[in-house]
Amino acid sequence: MSQEILGAERKVKAVGGVAIDGAPVAYLIALAAAVAALSFIPFSVILAAGGSFPLSQGIYALVGWILGPVAGGIACGIGRLIGVFVAPHTAGPVPLASVWGAAIASFAAGAMSTAREEGAPRRDWWWIPLSVFFVMEWLLFVGRAVLVNGVSVQVALLNTFVNWSAILLYVLPTRTLIARLIGSRNIAALAAGLFLGTWMIAGLSHLSVTVILYYILNWPPEVWATLIPIIPMENLFRSLVGTVIGTGVIAGLRATELVRPRSALY
Amino acid sequence: MGVIRFQRVWRESLFTRLDFRAKLLIVAVISLVAFVWESPITLAALALTVIIAALLSGIEAAYLGRIFRLMMPLYGLLLVTHGFWNTQQVRVLTGRETLTPLFTFPSAWPLVGGGGMSVEGFVYGWAVILRTIVLILVLPLAIFTTDINQIMVGLVRIGIPYKLVFIFSSTLRFFPLLFGEAQAIIEAQRLRGLEPQRMGPLQRVRVYARIAIPLILGALVKAQQLEAVLQARAFTGSSARTYLHESRLRRVDWGVILLGLGLFVTAMALYVWLGVGKFAWLIFPSAPTPVPHR
Amino acid sequence: MEPPEPLVQFEAVSYLYPRATRPALRNISLDIRRGEFVGLIGATGAGKTTLCLTLNGIVPQFYGGRFFGRITVAGMDTLEHPTGMLARYVGMVFQDPETQLIANSVEDEVAFALENLQVPREEIRARITYVLQAVRLDGYERKHPSELSGGQKQRLAIAAALAMRPALLVLDEPTSQLDPVGEQEVFAVADELNRELGVTVLMASHAAERLAEYATRLILLSAGSLVAVGSPDEIYPQIELLERHHLRPPQVARTFYLINKAGHPTGRLPVRLEDGLRALDSLCAQCTLTPPSIPPEPQGADGPALVSARDLKYTYPDGTRALNGVSLDIRAGEYVVIIGQNGAGKTTLIKHFLRLLEPTEGKVLIGGRDTREFTVGELARRVGYVGQNPDHQIFNASVKDEVSFALRHLGYPAAEIRARTSASLEALGLLDMQDMHPLALTRGDRARVVLAAVLALQPEVIILDEPTTGQDYRGAKSILDITRELHRQGKTVIVVTHHLYLMPEYARRVLVMGKGTLLLDAPLRQAYHQLDVLGATFLEPPQAVLLSRYLERYSAGELRLLTPEEVAACFIPGGVERGSHQIPESVA
Repeated sequence: MSQEILGAERKVKAVGGVAIDGAPVAYLIALAAAVAALSFIPFSVILAAGGSFPLSQGIYALVGWILGPVAGGIACGIGRLIGVFVAPHTAGPVPLASVWGAAIASFAAGAMSTAREEGAPRRDWWWIPLSVFFVMEWLLFVGRAVLVNGVSVQVALLNTFVNWSAILLYVLPTRTLIARLIGSRNIAALAAGLFLGTWMIAGLSHLSVTVILYYILNWPPEVWATLIPIIPMENLFRSLVGTVIGTGVIAGLRATELVRPRSALY
Repeated sequence: MGVIRFQRVWRESLFTRLDFRAKLLIVAVISLVAFVWESPITLAALALTVIIAALLSGIEAAYLGRIFRLMMPLYGLLLVTHGFWNTQQVRVLTGRETLTPLFTFPSAWPLVGGGGMSVEGFVYGWAVILRTIVLILVLPLAIFTTDINQIMVGLVRIGIPYKLVFIFSSTLRFFPLLFGEAQAIIEAQRLRGLEPQRMGPLQRVRVYARIAIPLILGALVKAQQLEAVLQARAFTGSSARTYLHESRLRRVDWGVILLGLGLFVTAMALYVWLGVGKFAWLIFPSAPTPVPHR
Repeated sequence: MEPPEPLVQFEAVSYLYPRATRPALRNISLDIRRGEFVGLIGATGAGKTTLCLTLNGIVPQFYGGRFFGRITVAGMDTLEHPTGMLARYVGMVFQDPETQLIANSVEDEVAFALENLQVPREEIRARITYVLQAVRLDGYERKHPSELSGGQKQRLAIAAALAMRPALLVLDEPTSQLDPVGEQEVFAVADELNRELGVTVLMASHAAERLAEYATRLILLSAGSLVAVGSPDEIYPQIELLERHHLRPPQVARTFYLINKAGHPTGRLPVRLEDGLRALDSLCAQCTLTPPSIPPEPQGADGPALVSARDLKYTYPDGTRALNGVSLDIRAGEYVVIIGQNGAGKTTLIKHFLRLLEPTEGKVLIGGRDTREFTVGELARRVGYVGQNPDHQIFNASVKDEVSFALRHLGYPAAEIRARTSASLEALGLLDMQDMHPLALTRGDRARVVLAAVLALQPEVIILDEPTTGQDYRGAKSILDITRELHRQGKTVIVVTHHLYLMPEYARRVLVMGKGTLLLDAPLRQAYHQLDVLGATFLEPPQAVLLSRYLERYSAGELRLLTPEEVAACFIPGGVERGSHQIPESVA
């Protein structure tokens, strides 16, 4: 086996195939198809009123962490779009809103990347406009509730706990902490990062969808109160699902020789 | 388990003959109008039109039925919540101080005593339901009547980069495969004696959520193979390519586009000047002056 | 006449994947001339796929890594020309029929590459017609890929490559996922393209008998190095060389190798069946036939039935009748193999044993009890299942966790979980891999992990669905060797496979399925000689069986031989001793 290599070494231009923002197109297709397939698989949270959410909601953030913001957003958006057509019953009252929720989740997750690898574009400022955007969404949401529909401030705050806690996690340096945890080789740290990260991203996605639904469906103040315990419980389960899937997938990716997308966080 | 695919309507009709771009415009117009209108009357007319169009185009009644069945709980919830509690908003919309009671619980009843539904809230609930029906059904009307290749060419012609359109069509091609794999993975868990349905929520997370792991990792391994396939087929992602299928806007397409735009402008004009499509239009006439809501 | 310029030239090519320490290809120098049909052989991991991918520049242009030496295809250096340009000269067909079809209809599949190359629409139309005829898929233009059989899918992939009018068609194990019908279709099409249209073909494959038939030249790779190059008539007779590199020769060649070794020089070893038959004629003219004494059929286990089907019928929701009245009993301790073409009902049948499907009519009993009465957990403790793709069955990040996964969630006490896990790991030789991630293992090892996880539940019956598909000879044998060990320990083993030649050493009883019915239920020796029944479900018996049938012209009665060893024994007084029954397992 100690046979010498005879040929002269050549300079290899690794062009890496057709890519979107550094992520090979085939990876986008694969993960979009995974999102679409998981749209069919419900995870039921047996609670009084809580129904179930499709498992796909547990991976939007993960897709962003694997592919980066642009490619992740596109993959989740397209995957969800197809899920909406083929499984309209999972789409909620306004199908395109759930597509938007998937795309923005993955985009926000991918934008956490602090990667400074050669060739990777600098992204360490993207969180700022995104944060402003999420805060504005929250103000629009809570503003309409309190000012137009007469929801009490206290109820509005309790009801949107998942949303504003997510915004806080995103705005504060916890965002970079979570990104570092997800990059960690320590499995406990990785799991913690995935849990917090999924909580945060799912909370932001929930906000982005709910604000649209609210302006269309305009549910009355009493509903705000009844949803107070349900929303965090669902988000908790979304985060647990995201943690279990994320640890498994990231451990697997690290164990294989798959070409790593440029903006990947793991 | 059958192969899941886009339902494809083969019956020849105006819908199948129209160019995808014309259909998209109609979808956009209908969605926007449904978003603006609050009148249960105009929304009902619109929803009925969409349903009839869907049936005429050949979309199976069973498909529509399935959607309605699945949406039923939400519709019930909307009616109840709006009927009982939507007071403030409908007061504003109707310009009335007091609402018409639909029924009232006897005050002796515990908890709900004295409460009740208002006619206005109940009707508003209907308006919201009709709006969601329009929004849910209008897209399949355009998509299911169009061959996927026509959709692709149409999207490229609108100016969407081919790369994105390609991702869309390939995802459509591959997701049934992954769905089949997901089924096999769920079966594999079952064959190890695991029954997530019977587990408590936390254990269920630890077992059931795992089905996504082999699914995603397998998808990424496939992606690497797919990448080799794409390169071997000279795929560049560039929009500079030829197409086997043509997409041409014919006279009828232009006609539909102009008609769509015309209807949109008319609907908006009637809404703003005459209040057609506002919540109180025709049914709650006592409103002294309609209070602008949006 | 001056030999034409080679189409492909490798000059001292070596390649390392990124982060790899060992080269995947090492000092390959090689020419491929126009018009050749080159077979590429080598065990899994020998570098066949990598070599194929170098030809259109995907290695190293997509993967990166370190590249040494030089490859030219039609005069173009593969490092200096983009893959998109090389694609016009090198058509590629890959192993997995599913991932290489990317369009939503047959005609769009063919058109895809041409559209990318900006070929005008009329020209695309013309080429679609032409290439679909060439692979005999005309009339399928509007079909969706999911409506095609495995063989049709691979032929479509060939058509899609062919549409670019490549000078070279590279096929990387195109038949390893197919049933024998599909395999035959693909080889026939490749052969036609090569002979009638002059397309140069490079095909990596484990199908030795077919390569002997079709290839004009073979390239033997091992651990990234070129070991031998020559015609099938030169390579396949080198039995010891092949075995050293974990390859399987055609059974004809092995048979005559054994005959030669026993002192009957037959001249050049035949590698194709018809040559073998001719060689038998001349051999029988020289010496007398001494049929080996066939050991009596082992008594079938006679305990009570463990797995039974009673007039089992099943119709899929879409109306397809998949099983049409199947009745059978499998007794405790049997080793049964189920064979038949794709769509014959094999998988539907075993899904009933696992209660993944419930009978439309009739019933299935496990240990005398209707499967409908079992809970999922109970059934899993009695019937274990290893599916075709191990990767669908791996949920955990370490081998040990995977093996203990079900135990942990089924409420076993900690001590028992530990005991069963380590027993299972040990039985499958996985102890020193227990902390590794399953995906860091080879495919064969991953299959063993799944088997270990299934065994941890200590089922009485173990069902393996196509465990040998997609495996090379060594991988297939290593899984089957484990099943033999389990069978010795008293487990009931049921294997579904297309690889008939592998099974004589293992299985005792054969169920032949065709069109949803049980065509034949017989001891293996009997079943393999029912050529009409096998033919009815599009199966070909191993070459040794055909040689045995031919030999019957020269013998008094039926021979019913199954393996090259048994056929060779006819010419060896005293017979071949049992020990040499198997090809020696070399250092695995």
